[in-house]
Amino acid sequence: MSELKITAYVCKSCGRVHYPFHDRCLDCKAREFDQIQPEGPAKLLAYTEIYNLPWGFDVRTLKIGVVEFSNKVRAMGQIDADDIKKLKTGMKLKAFWEPVRKRYGEDVYGLVFR
Amino acid sequence: MRQVAIIGAGMIPFGRRDEDSLLDMLAYASLKALDDAGLGDKGVDAVYVANMGAGILQRQTSVASALVDRLSLMPAAADAVENGPASGASAIKNGVLAVASGYYDYVLVAGGEKMREVVGWKATDFVSTMTHPEAEYPYGITLPGMAGMFTRLYMEKYGLTRDQLIAVAIKNQKMGALNPFAHVEMIITKEGIADSPDAVVNNPFAADPLHLYDMCPVSDGAAAVILCPLETAKKMAKKTPVLVAGFGQATDTHTLQERKDPTDLKAVTLASKQAFEMAEATPKDVDFAELHDAFTILEIAESEHAGFFKKGEGGKAAERGDTRLGGKLPINMSGGLKARGHPVGATGVAQVVDCVFQLRHELGKDRQVKGAKTGFTLNFGGFGNNVVAFVLRRIEL
Repeated sequence: MSELKITAYVCKSCGRVHYPFHDRCLDCKAREFDQIQPEGPAKLLAYTEIYNLPWGFDVRTLKIGVVEFSNKVRAMGQIDADDIKKLKTGMKLKAFWEPVRKRYGEDVYGLVFR
Repeated sequence: MRQVAIIGAGMIPFGRRDEDSLLDMLAYASLKALDDAGLGDKGVDAVYVANMGAGILQRQTSVASALVDRLSLMPAAADAVENGPASGASAIKNGVLAVASGYYDYVLVAGGEKMREVVGWKATDFVSTMTHPEAEYPYGITLPGMAGMFTRLYMEKYGLTRDQLIAVAIKNQKMGALNPFAHVEMIITKEGIADSPDAVVNNPFAADPLHLYDMCPVSDGAAAVILCPLETAKKMAKKTPVLVAGFGQATDTHTLQERKDPTDLKAVTLASKQAFEMAEATPKDVDFAELHDAFTILEIAESEHAGFFKKGEGGKAAERGDTRLGGKLPINMSGGLKARGHPVGATGVAQVVDCVFQLRHELGKDRQVKGAKTGFTLNFGGFGNNVVAFVLRRIEL
């Protein structure tokens, strides 16, 4: 797994894992967090294939999913799969940090699962 | 707090309106509402304008100030309300609070959006700007994409079927074909969108497992209402006043992934509960509902979370015909967003306008809910992260 350059936040008071960042814990409202990176295989929680794409993509469709890593970090990313029928909720995927779109000619990096 | 009534309602036909600017549409709908209220050339104390995208799509800001100028309503107070697709109901809620407080007596609330003057990918990108800028937007997620993920989860958890989604699409397009304000006036059949060999072409995937006919269109349009104290309405209303009996608003996490159960639309449940409690009513008291069916799945999920059906039963109810005209709870007799269209800033106001038409018993027999006394509207912002609900009641004079 390449280095995944996202930071998740674990509440120092109650342990709830947050991604993205919140100034106060979603559960206990505490303001102190430990920073962690996503770890381990990613379990696919939800997915779709989008056919009408917004600005910044030169592909016909995009497969997108939400995963949960083994340290409870949940995150969205693109899925690199040739057929959505091969995907199944609960399956394990590996995560990579790769270009996900272009903005003004520059690559934007993010999570890609395969 | 004073009780607040709707004494005027106006709407222009939704669709592609190349000839009209955003301000044109807001002005036309507002004039209709002013005339409907019998205010004619009189003024109002305050104006709230619901709009989500003029700054992005038209490069126009301060639309409330611009509308006041167009309508010569100066020196009325004027505020724009941007709350994503729930902007319309949010603006009405703010208008209701302003009248209820006793500070203003007459308030105009107008909602409008002009989305068809940009190409499809720009409109899609504009709507996607409501997703989380770091955790969602960069990946190309769209609101239909969110709905696709949500639908699959709903299918897995509750056994929702494609036939149930299709039942919603067919019903709402049938009602839209009867609504002169609707963007889509085309009746569809199950054969045409699902069962025939042509269905693959007619109704391709839009966001798996959702298809094209599970989606609302991208529309231009505007709608407006006039609010005043109920006691004033009883004395001066030209038409049957409609009481804003209750409202509720609730929020949820920005991203779906941070909800412990992503199929649980908590903000819908809470906003609806607040509205019913304020109205001293229950879902059983409601004669019809206008729900935010930007995607067919949402009509079903909202009908459950608002308390009309148990979880997992909304799709079955739609398939049985319980939500058709003459059924236990007619839903979206306007055609809903699915057929009336979804100019995002206008939608919440349009839902209330349609509710007013129903409660004043002004519709033809093919859309009128017989004897309707209480209606419910639900305006759904983001993917359920900001939801506004109303319970509206007919006032017999």
